[in-house]
Amino acid sequence: MMRGAVAIFKRDFKKFLSNPIVIIMTLLMPIMYLVIFGNAIGGAIAGIPIGVAQETPYVNETPLFSASVDSLTHLAQPDKANTFSVTVFTSEATAKQALADGRVMAVAIFPSAVSNDHTIRLYVDSSDFTTPTVIEGGINGVLQKLGVQAPVQVTKLYGDVQYIQFFGVGVIVMAIFMSTMMGGGIALIRDRELGIIEGYLVTPVKRSSIILGIIGSGTVKGFLSGFIIFLVDLVVAGIVLRSAEDFVLVLVVIFVISIGLTSLVVFISSRFRDQQSFAGMNAFLSLMLFMTSGAFYPTLGMPDWLRWITTVNPEFYAVHALRTLILRGQGLGAISVDLLALGLFSGAAILLGITTFRRTLE
Amino acid sequence: MEMHTLEQREQRGSGRTAGTANAEAIIRLEHLSKIFKSRDRTVTAVDDVSFEVGHGEIFGLLGPNGAGKSTLIRILTTLLRPSSGTAYVNGHEISREPELIRSIIGVCPQNSTLDQELSAYDNLEFYGKLVDVPDNILDARIRELLASVGLTEQTNTRVSTFSGGMKRKLEIVRAFIHKPLIIFLDEPTIGLDPEARREVWDQIARLNAEETTIILTTHYMDEAEKLCDRIAFVDGGRLIALDTLENLKKVIPSGDLIEVGFERITEEVIDRIRADPHVGVVELRGKTLAIQATGGGKILPVILEYFEKAGLPVTSLSIRSPSLEDIFIYLTGKGFGGGEGKTVPILTEREAP
Repeated sequence: MMRGAVAIFKRDFKKFLSNPIVIIMTLLMPIMYLVIFGNAIGGAIAGIPIGVAQETPYVNETPLFSASVDSLTHLAQPDKANTFSVTVFTSEATAKQALADGRVMAVAIFPSAVSNDHTIRLYVDSSDFTTPTVIEGGINGVLQKLGVQAPVQVTKLYGDVQYIQFFGVGVIVMAIFMSTMMGGGIALIRDRELGIIEGYLVTPVKRSSIILGIIGSGTVKGFLSGFIIFLVDLVVAGIVLRSAEDFVLVLVVIFVISIGLTSLVVFISSRFRDQQSFAGMNAFLSLMLFMTSGAFYPTLGMPDWLRWITTVNPEFYAVHALRTLILRGQGLGAISVDLLALGLFSGAAILLGITTFRRTLE
Repeated sequence: MEMHTLEQREQRGSGRTAGTANAEAIIRLEHLSKIFKSRDRTVTAVDDVSFEVGHGEIFGLLGPNGAGKSTLIRILTTLLRPSSGTAYVNGHEISREPELIRSIIGVCPQNSTLDQELSAYDNLEFYGKLVDVPDNILDARIRELLASVGLTEQTNTRVSTFSGGMKRKLEIVRAFIHKPLIIFLDEPTIGLDPEARREVWDQIARLNAEETTIILTTHYMDEAEKLCDRIAFVDGGRLIALDTLENLKKVIPSGDLIEVGFERITEEVIDRIRADPHVGVVELRGKTLAIQATGGGKILPVILEYFEKAGLPVTSLSIRSPSLEDIFIYLTGKGFGGGEGKTVPILTEREAP
């Protein structure tokens, strides 16, 4: 009995050692999880952009206003960066505009005269997770320190957003990634291993038709899975769409990220010869892109090096665009930067995918 | 009920003129070579091969594993470019006009490339679209092909439930869906049971009856004997011999092959047999003595007498015409099974090849 067991043990071990990518991935993945998961989630949120303004009639800066601005600017947790990045607006209207545009995440409007019945109004972008609580806490803390008794009236701009709604929007992007990787990439590598792709090459079908067909089917698969999760979000997480324009824009974002991720998968799978290595790469990429996309936790809570990854992560822009549309109910103007970034990413991915896949056909 | 087609083929094959291809050659190879270079070694997979395949022929490419058959097929089907030399398929040069060639060939690769998850119909429909079968005749064509291989009942059944023989037949007719001028079959019956092999052979013969030229690679001798009009032996990337089966048999200097089984043997008996003027090559294969001789029927009693005189009992006796395998052994001096086959020590070669 032992002889057989030892033989199987040795065989498994030899096969394991013969595939360096799998070894690296098995060792690296837990470390990656530790470093990325550990840093991406639960970090102290810092540098939150907030705006402050004083009510009209604006006569002079009240002592309360200047003291509050000063305190808010310098508020920080021990050994951490400043909690807020404060912008002073000259009028309530411009401040609120900045909030609507997403340039700041909260606006505090201070009364022109200080007394106990003049409220301080706080408008918060409630579509983010944790950040609204941090902002409220920070403002209350500062006022308490300054000994101000005036009440704070909090307005949640986008209503009460549950975590499941915040997270659910991110899952749409995750679903697209999963379907393109699993359904698209693995199948593509298997087809190549079986010689099915080579079988296409002895037929009159054009090389470009093969690529178009593969990217096309992957895009539709990705789109459908993203759309299904979107419907699930509507039912389970209770998200609400505010206009038909938003609905169309949601479909556009899902489509653009689907074609980009599909092309990226075509590119990656063209570079890998076997399914195991590809699966390793897949696990690594999905972790990397999804964790830094802000789908789980606000990117403000991440260390600088992770936020760098965020700026080049297409999933970040997709998640941001979908949140802007679904949770904030804003339109095309608010997601134009996201759309531009996604367009650039998808364009580059399509080019990369086509050229590398074409090389496998030679 | 399907045997008649094969028989017809055999009659037709034996009536063919030997040696040269038909006047109108559909495939012509001119000094074709393919060299694979990697960092540490260079492999010459095809070494200066020239031949022609006639229109409507069933042409067999034979050789052990790694002989270069598949590389040749890959070059002719435009998957690989030759390192030097060239080839013409229906007048189209392989490097310059690969698209034209792809539309007139059908290819059935060695490993199945059927989509297991799809039905027989879906597989054919997909391939039909790839090879540009017009939509208005595609459906009828698919049903006709499925009927021709007896798979009508399985039209909408998933291919993954098919037996090996059913899959193979489906794959062969798939390559034929656009009525190509030439079909390439790479090891068409590998891994099939005898019944399935016979059915596949019959299918190939029927396709050929529709004026399709068929190029098949195989390392089964019986397959080549059964099907092929002409046979090319390939070994080590080189063309060793190319002719009809009849003519190839004449290559062996002494006509028939006699095999004598025994319990014991002495060198003296072997020497005596060898000394006989009618005997050619004598080989010792384990407990069998293989003797090539002319006029086998007359020499048989003589050989038996040698054994009798020496008091050595004969356990078995057979006389047959040489098979392709015997010819191959004669031509290359080695067995056909590649690494797996038995090695055959050649004791004597009185007449050098």
